[in-house]
Formats: sequence, structure tokens, C-alpha cells
Amino acid sequence: MSDRLSFLYPEISLFIGTCVVMVLGLSRTLKMRKASALVAGLAIIVAGYFAIASTPRSGDALCPISGACYAKGVSAAAGQMLLPDMPLFAKTLIAIVSLLLLLPCAGTVDRADESAIARGTRSFDPLRSNRAEFYAFFLFSITGLMLCASADDLVWLFLALELTSLPTYIMVAISTSRNRGREAAVKYFFLGALGAAIFLYGFALIYGGTGSTNFNVIASVIRDQGLNTITLAGLLLAILGVGFKIAAVPMHFYTPDVYEGAAPQVSGFLAFVPKTAGFISILLLAAIAGWAYAPGQSGLGGLFNPAAVTPLRQSADASQLPELLRIMLWVMAALTMTVGNVLAILQTSVKRMLAYSSIAHSGYMLVGVIVGPGDGRFSHNGIAAVLFYLLCYGVMNAGAFAVLAALERRPGKDGEPREIETIADLKGLCATHPQLGWSMVICSLSLLGLPPLLGFFGKLPLFTAGISANEIPLVIILGLNSAIGAYYYLRLAFTPMLEKPDAGAEPIEFAPFFSRRVGAMLSAGGVIILAIFGSPLINEATKAANVPVATPADASADPTDPNQAAKALTPAPRISQR
Amino acid sequence: MVNLQNMLAAVGGSLATVAPEGAVFSSHWPLTAIVLLPLLSFVLCALCAAFGVKSKLPAWITVASLAAAFVFTFLAFRSAGPILGGHGADHAAHAQVHVFDWMNFAWGDTQDSHGVFDADFGFYIDGLTLLWMLFVTGLATLIALYASEYMAHDVGLGYCRFFAAFSLFVLSMSCLVMANNLLLLFFGWEGVGLCSYLLIGYFYKKPAAVAAAKKAFIINRIGDLGLLMGILGVYASFGSVQYDKIFELISKGVDGAGNPLTTSNWVPVILPLLLTAGAFGKSAQLFFYVWLPDAMEGPTPVSALIHAATMVTAGVYLIARMMPLYTIDTAHTILNFVAWGGAITAFWAATIGMAHFDIKRVMGYSTASQLGYMFAGLGTLSSAGGAAHVFSHAFFKATLFLACGAVMHGFAGQLDLRKLSGVRKIKGWGIVAFAMFVGALNLAGFPGLAGFWSKDLILASAFEANPILGWLLLLTAGLTAYYTFRAYFRVFEGPISYEPGEDFHGDAHASHADHGHAEKAHGHDAKSHDAHSKGHDAHAGHAGEFHPHAPGWAINAVLLTLSVGCFAIIPLLALGEHGGWVGHMVGASSAALHGTGEGHGTFLGMDPHKVMYYVSAVVGGLGIIAAFVLHLLGRTTSAHAKADKLEPFLGPLVGWARHKWYVDEFYNMVIRVPLKFMAHVFHGIDQYLVDGLVNLTGFLPKGLGRLIRPTQSGELHGYALGMAGGVAIMILIVMMVAK
Repeated sequence: MSDRLSFLYPEISLFIGTCVVMVLGLSRTLKMRKASALVAGLAIIVAGYFAIASTPRSGDALCPISGACYAKGVSAAAGQMLLPDMPLFAKTLIAIVSLLLLLPCAGTVDRADESAIARGTRSFDPLRSNRAEFYAFFLFSITGLMLCASADDLVWLFLALELTSLPTYIMVAISTSRNRGREAAVKYFFLGALGAAIFLYGFALIYGGTGSTNFNVIASVIRDQGLNTITLAGLLLAILGVGFKIAAVPMHFYTPDVYEGAAPQVSGFLAFVPKTAGFISILLLAAIAGWAYAPGQSGLGGLFNPAAVTPLRQSADASQLPELLRIMLWVMAALTMTVGNVLAILQTSVKRMLAYSSIAHSGYMLVGVIVGPGDGRFSHNGIAAVLFYLLCYGVMNAGAFAVLAALERRPGKDGEPREIETIADLKGLCATHPQLGWSMVICSLSLLGLPPLLGFFGKLPLFTAGISANEIPLVIILGLNSAIGAYYYLRLAFTPMLEKPDAGAEPIEFAPFFSRRVGAMLSAGGVIILAIFGSPLINEATKAANVPVATPADASADPTDPNQAAKALTPAPRISQR
Repeated sequence: MVNLQNMLAAVGGSLATVAPEGAVFSSHWPLTAIVLLPLLSFVLCALCAAFGVKSKLPAWITVASLAAAFVFTFLAFRSAGPILGGHGADHAAHAQVHVFDWMNFAWGDTQDSHGVFDADFGFYIDGLTLLWMLFVTGLATLIALYASEYMAHDVGLGYCRFFAAFSLFVLSMSCLVMANNLLLLFFGWEGVGLCSYLLIGYFYKKPAAVAAAKKAFIINRIGDLGLLMGILGVYASFGSVQYDKIFELISKGVDGAGNPLTTSNWVPVILPLLLTAGAFGKSAQLFFYVWLPDAMEGPTPVSALIHAATMVTAGVYLIARMMPLYTIDTAHTILNFVAWGGAITAFWAATIGMAHFDIKRVMGYSTASQLGYMFAGLGTLSSAGGAAHVFSHAFFKATLFLACGAVMHGFAGQLDLRKLSGVRKIKGWGIVAFAMFVGALNLAGFPGLAGFWSKDLILASAFEANPILGWLLLLTAGLTAYYTFRAYFRVFEGPISYEPGEDFHGDAHASHADHGHAEKAHGHDAKSHDAHSKGHDAHAGHAGEFHPHAPGWAINAVLLTLSVGCFAIIPLLALGEHGGWVGHMVGASSAALHGTGEGHGTFLGMDPHKVMYYVSAVVGGLGIIAAFVLHLLGRTTSAHAKADKLEPFLGPLVGWARHKWYVDEFYNMVIRVPLKFMAHVFHGIDQYLVDGLVNLTGFLPKGLGRLIRPTQSGELHGYALGMAGGVAIMILIVMMVAK
């Protein structure tokens, strides 16, 4: 039992950290309250350590909780996970990026209260304090994210996704004291519930179509009996619903409003955490169907003509998602990047612009999902490209939002310091605040994908994988969108660098939290350092994208034969590709 | 240190001709340290700048790191014996050291070998690499030590900036030389170009320095375009930029697709020509030489290290490294071009050097001229001669520059040889004069010295290849001896007489004046002292007005080390007949050439390899005597010498040479003016036609954005409707496809 439990050590350590933070944050002494952020960071570091040390990888004999085993010998291979090496990489990258995201969160909540307490005009009131909740929800959300990566069951996946999302609704609400934040939170909550309803419906249909919630069983049913209409409809709805988490069209509407309403550090959190959860889920859902279908097959005809049910079948030599799934993802990818980019061009608010650009980045990454594992090499491997891009995007996005978090304008009428709003506020930042200005320049050039920086090395495999999978039109759309992206990212890079502040412009000041600046500079440094020394990570991403190839139990099997169908429910042995 | 050596120690005595990875160097760290130490120094100097360090700390950081890098290089050289033992092997022996995967892309059909781009961060270690690294790190250490004193007037931010760029330069140069592929070489190539730009423009408030920096940068870009196209062409032909793969294919005589190389002119002629453009740009040859003399606006240590000893030899290195590519063509078309380009530059620059008065500029032209010799050596199939001249030139030209720098430093920026005389006799200047003398003897090719052996190798092979080429270079050798000793006799010998340079302000601390900052300079504050100086003690004569500032220990120590090296150590240990040790190092590298002596040229019927030692000694001696007669004998003032009387006989030639043969003006008229005119034309086109089109194109995404913007109404129910509707439309699309 304990070796099964070790699979979840990262999540468990995060959860312990959460409990400690909840108590510490309500302490009467300031030092103890302040320690809650440190404990949160510590919990993430410990979780990162366990993610590397105790996450099983393919070849280990360890069993995850649900009993799905990792391949060691033929007998255990039956229950091999769909993406057996993904959790290790995913959890490690989550730990790294969430540390970067935690740094700018200093002083997000309780700022006015704490200064009032420091002045002595008010004593500490646990009921008014939000600090404990904030850090606890931060950790809860990360816990959910890591649980997504561990998921091997639809129920587990649903619970993990919701554990990721629910805390973020509250984080948005408490991150600012203005009504805009509350409005954003309410919108986010209701629309999130709608998204969850859609993918839950999809999950239910998958269960209806295959008779199981376990990924392995579902996958083996699909592999052996073909992809029936109900399962396919379920998969489509599930992916569309999870599309809410990654802000893909048509579930993207909430993004700019919510990001704009929340404090920048929380927006940065939203741009990474739910998105990563969404991509991990989409990868898992796509892996259930597998990337081994010959092109041109369709299985949805049965919806309209029950007599013409032609189950989709995997073939050994093909490398494509089921055609209809592929088409939907294709349309989603093309629309997502285009809508995100063209709307980002029109923005004057930095946060709205970054929100739209985060939509566009989701579109880029969907290309990798469509391509799938290819022949396993990094440049042909769409899954590895997605995983690596998540890391790249996490780092550079954390940097851009941390810069916004580290700056503020003079307090307005309500006595509260105001955030940076428009791009014009950033004019001349490199001269006035060089560290932050250059961090912004580096991060936005990297988001644009300028060659020597990290974003380029993240985006390049998406291109090469797309080309290798012969998705040429999609790659062209990807290229055009990168060009459109250049329009607004260059503006974001050159405004701080080249322009001088307007004569009557409000002065921009440092927010009085040093760790926000550290977060910005660390992320910008990471953008450069990972670009130079990223090869080990690329290798890890390639390993993480290992998809054991499923071979049909019996190609000539008659799917209508009840004996065959019953036999097919017991998973067939699989042979790893390498 | 013993441990390090153990780490580096060779494994196994005998190596195959191609050393397998890791066989020679059991760990890559000692070699990686050579690159990492300058990087560390760069970062620390940048931190010093950030924390506002106002001491000489950056200099000591730089000197220590570079000295450590030199030690590592030396240890690598010691343990690389097995590689160099491959002397005479058919294919040059080398060791490959892989540090980390840098770029590794593949795309398209997996069967297609062209769908792979692979460039490691790794080193290619053979005799050529080690030869270059030894003098790069060694000289960089010494010159950094020199600069610690030379730049002392600028302690503070400028000092940090100087040493940060200095370290960055050594880092880039190491990448350039040690790279095991052309991409990393290009990375280093651009890096040294950048550092050159930064350091030439170090005195960025002085317009001349800024203009010179821009000129160097822009002219180098033209050559670099050739290099980049050459690298892309090599990749297109061989499917790789890694040296070992390229050389292996060349030795098999096929390109990456398996076709023979010699069927078209593309690989044997065009590719080397493109690489040569890069090499000529960086090494200031032929049309590109104009940037190098102007680059002397930079601080003198920079001129010594970058623009004399190391960076400008990168072009020679490139051609030597890619020698297998150049020798595919059995007619040696491009090598002949290289040889003639080098020889013409050597002669051309020497004539300008004869007429100039600014001793640092004279040395600048001399560098272009000597680089011409190196290319002539490469082009006439004497890669050992070319490399040997690079090696000896690095030391003696650095010595000369540093000695000139000491003069400039001590005389408030004075560099005009008409305003300085008898410096050797002033107290405290003995070592400087000695160093200058040794350097000048080397440059003049005085028998037995480093410059003599290396120049003779080139002259002999030039005569062998083509007597006309040989005569041109021999004549240049005489001119070289003349202009070198002209500078020496005018400045260091003769009666004591001097004027301070434009940085003199007449105050007591004049000698510490910042000789670069033009905003401080107010022209010639001091009076001319020529008339008084005859027979007087200079110090007494100028008390209270101007004291030359004799160099301190760091400058003297460096000058002494270098001059002893040029005078004794290098000729004894490193050079000699047939290139000696250097020839051996080059022979054990990809630059090795076998079966030289294809040409049958002779020197007046004699074997040039045998007689050239005597001939060049005589020619050099004649040059020195001419300089002695014209510039020292009977000279009583600093401003005039007997040579002035010759000027009327030479007609306008002297004036033309003094004005650099009006090449800059010619370029201005032929290239810059038409370009400027075209720029105006294109500006108009750009403004009205292209901008219009761009705005039209930009309108498309913007228009699309405006079209869908209303969907972002901000209303919750609108969004929910959008999501539900979107799901419905998506399913509808899929259904339509399914039908």
C-alpha cells in the first residue's frame, strides 16, 4: 500500500502544506502570518522533490491507486497507463512554474488591513483576513493540477479538474478589493460551471458508450471494438468542455474579462494552472482514442443513420486521431489562435492583451495534440512539444504578469495603489525601472517566439511536428498567427524599451514587495537560461511523451460477436514502441 | 593542479587517426572551463558595474580568470599529445568533446538525411585549435594585466564596462576557435564582432570613435553575409555543419546526398569564395581593409588584443580550418584568389603605412599588411607558414601596440611621430623602448627572430607558387622594415623632444588625463618645445609644464615578458626552419597540407626554400638602413628629417599615400552616394507604396478583430450563449464532415 501511496507524495505534501498554511495565516503575530507564504513555497519545493523522486515511470513495477499497473513484464503490461511517463515531467514542470507564480503573489490580499494593523489603527481580526485562504487555495489548485496528471479514471479526472478550478474562482474574487474583481469571479464561476457541465456530460457519454470510467478499459474497448458513436460524441463534448480550462474557442469568452478583473499575479496564475490542467486532460482524452487511426474514417454517421454504424478502428501503421476528433481539434486550434491574436491586436490594456494572447497560445499547443506522438523523436512528437511548450509558456507568462504585479501607480481616491493598465503606462520602463523593463522586453520577445529565446525553442517543435504529420494548412495558419502575434508583442517589447514616458504621465512605482521583482527577474532569467541549456528538458519532455502503442487484439475479429466483445473488455497486452 | 592534469591525462598511448570522443579527454570540464572562465569573468564584471565598484577589482577578476583559462589551455595542450602525435597521418587527427546538445532539429520524412539540423555545443580539438587557444588566452591574460594600469584613469563604471566586454570577447573568441561546427563558429564570430564594436566605441562620447565603431561593424556585416551564406551552402551541400562530418564527406569526395563534389563549381569554388568573403571582412583584406586603421580609435589594449593579435586572425583560422574544402578544387582557384588578395593588401597597406605620421595608425596599416602575408601563405599552400605568422605576429604586434600605447598613455595621447623624439633616453622609458625595438626587429624580419622565420616560410612558398607574387611580397618586406624603423627611429631615438597630446590640460595631473574623452580635450594647450629641447634635459626644460608619465609596473612587466618572448622564447621553442613546433601543430590538424611544392617557381633560378633566409634578411636590412639614413642620421629636431627632402622627387605619391590613396573617398562616391540616393528613392516607395500595402494587410487582422469584438460584450448571459452556441456549431461542423 505504501508504495502505491508514494505515487501521490507530491499531492500529499502539498495538502499538508495547505493545512499548515490555513492555520498559520490566522495567527495573531505578523511573523507567523508572513510565514504562510514561505510554507507554501516550501510545500511546492517538497512536492517538486517528490515529483522527481517518487513518481513512477514506465518500467517501474509500482501500481497507482486504482490498480492500473506500470509495465514490467507482460502480465502487468495489461494495465499500463496511457501516458505512463507524463506525470513525472508534468508534475516537475508544475512545481517549477508554480514557484515562479507564487513569488509575485506577495501582498495580494490583506494589504490595506496589514498596513492599518502596522499603524496601530486596528487590531488583527481573523474574520477579515484573507491571507490563509489565499495561499491555501493557491496550494489546493496546484494539488488539483498535479492530480490531473496522475489521473487514470474519468471520475478522478473530473474531481481533479474541479479541485484545480474551484479555488481559482475565489482567488479572483479576493485578489482585489474592487468590484471588478468580484464581477470577474462571478462570471468565471458561472461560465466555469457551464464548461464543467459540458465535459461532465461528455464523460457520462463515454461511460455509456464503453461501460467503464477507467481509462485503460475504455481504451481497450475502443481499440478492440472500434469507436462507437456514443463514445465519439462523448469524447467530442468532453474535449470541448475541457476547452474552457485552456480558453479555446468557443469557450474562450470569459478570458479577457476575468484576467482584467483579477490582480495581475492571479491572472498569471489563471493563464498557467487551469490551462495546464486542461491540456493534460485533453492529452489523456485523446490518448484514450489513440493516434493510430487511418485517415478518412468516420464513425459519426450512426448518429443519423443507425444502420450505418461503422466503428472506427485503429490500424498499426497509421498515426492520426480518429478523423472526426481530429477535425474538431483542427477547427478549434485554427479558430483559437486566430481569434486570440486578432483580438489581442485591438487591446490597449496590457492584461486584456495578455489574456487574448493566452488564448492564442492554447491554439498553438492544440496543434501538438493533433499531431500526437509521431515516431517518438522530439521534433516529430506533438505531445512532447505540448509538454515542453507548457513549461516555456509557464515561465515567460509568469514573467510578464510578474512585471505588471511588481509595478503600480500612485494611490487613487480610495487610497489604494492602482495597477498598471494600459500599454502606454509602460513607456520608458527600461530607463526608469531597468530590471523590470528588460524583464518585460525579454518575456514579451520570448512570447513572440524570437529565435534566441525560450519561446522560439518551444514553438519550433510545434512547427516541425506539424510538418512531419503533414498538417501543412494548419502549420501555415500557425505561422500566420505567429506573425500577427508579432504585431502586439513587439509593441509590448518596444514600448518600455524605446518610447519615452509622456510628459504628463503618472509616475510608475515599485510595488513594495521585493519578491514580486524577484519573480519577474527570475522568470526573465529563466527564459534566457532555459533557451541555452534546455536540452536536458527537451530530452525529458520527449521521454514523457512516450505513448505505448496499442495493437488491436485481433484485426479480423467480428465486433458483433458477443464473445469477442466480452474478451475485449479484458485489456490486451501492449507493446511499447521503443 | 596535479589532479587536473590527471583528469586531462591521455588515456592510452596510441590513438587511431580519428580519436574517438572522450578518448583523449576523460572529462569535458577542463576544456569547458576555458570557455566558462571568461563567461564567469564577464558576469562578475557586469555585477561590478551593477554594484558600482570603484576599484580595480574587475581587472583582477579578468586577469585571474583569463590566466586560469590559459592554464587549462596549457594542460589541454599537454594532455593532447596523442592527438598531435598523429603527425603525418593521412587524415588529420582530432578529438571531439561534446559539452551539451545545443540545437538538434529534425523534420519531414525521417528517411531524408537533409531533414536534420544538428549543432552541438562541442569542441573540436586538434593542433590548430590548441595553437590558437594558447596565444589567445595567453595574450589576453597579459593584455588584461596591461589594461589594468592603462585604463586606470577610468576606474568606475567605464572600467567595469571595459573588462566585461574584454571577457566577453575572449569568451566569443574561444567559442569561435574551439567550436566543432560552423554554427558555433558563427556565434563566436558575431560575438567577437560585437565586442570589437563595443570596444572601438569605448570612448563613446568621441565622435571619431563612434564613427570608427560603426564603420568596423558595418563593413564586417558585408563579409559576414558571405560567411553566413557559405555556412548555409555548406549545410545545403553536406547536410551538416559539424566539421567531422564535413571533412569525412570531403575525404570521400561526395556531398551529403552521395553525389561527387567536383561535378559543378558549387562546392569547390562558390562555397570557399563565400567563406573567403567572411574571412576577408574579419581580417581586413582587399576591399574590406578600411575599417581596421580606423579601429585604432579604441583603447590601445583593445587594438593590441582584438585588432592585431586575435580577432583579425579569425579569417586566417577560418580558411585554415576549412582547408579541406578549399583543396577540393585541384586548380586552387580560390586559394590563388586568397593569395593574390593577401599579397595586394600587404603591399597596398604597407605603402600607406610608410606615409602616415600617427604611429598607432602605422601599426594599424601594418596589421592589415601582415594579415595579407598570412593569407598569401595560406593561398600558396603553406598553411604552416600562415599559422606560424599568425602566431609570431600575435606576439610582436601586440608588443608594438602596447609599446605605442605606453607612449600614448605617457604623453597625454600624443601619437604623432613628428612631435616625439628620443623617448628611449628619458628616464623610465627603457623597457618601453626595448619592447618597441624588439617588436620592430621582429616586424622587419630581422634574422633569427620570430617574425623572420614565419615570414620566410611565406615568402618561399610564394616564390614557389608564382614568382610575381613572391617579388611583390619581398618588396613589401623591405617597405615593412622601412616604415617600422621609421617609427622607431623617429620616436625613440634622436634628440629628446616632445609635445604633449591633445589630452594635456596644463595642470599637474596632465599625465593622468583621460586621453580618450574628446569633450575634455581643448587642443594644444602646450607650446611647442622643439626649439628648446636640443641638448637639454627634458625634465628640467619642461618643469611645471608637462611631465611624461612613465609607465608603471604592470605595463613594464607585460612589455618585458612579451619582448623576451618575441626575442628568445618563441624563436627558440616555437619556430624555426619549416615552421618548427608551430608547423608540427598545424601538420596535425585539418589545415595540414600534403604535397606542397606543386609550383615550380624559383628565386632567380635557386630553390626559394633554401635562399629565402638570406634574401629576406638582406631586404629587411636594406629597409632598416634606409630608415636609419632618412630618419635618424643627422636629425636634430623631432619634426623634420632627411626623408622630407625626398618628397618633391616623389611628386604627388606621398600625399596620395598619406590620404590612404583616397580609398575612403572612392568608396564614399561609388558606394555610399549611390546607396544614399537609392535609399531616398526606396524611402519614397516605402512610404507611399509599401506602407500602404502593409497597412492594408494589417487592416485584415484588425478588421477581423473588430468584426468579432462585439462577441466580447462583457455580459454573462451573452458569454454563456456564446459557449453553448459554439459547442452546437462545433458539433454541427463535425456532423457535416461526417456526412
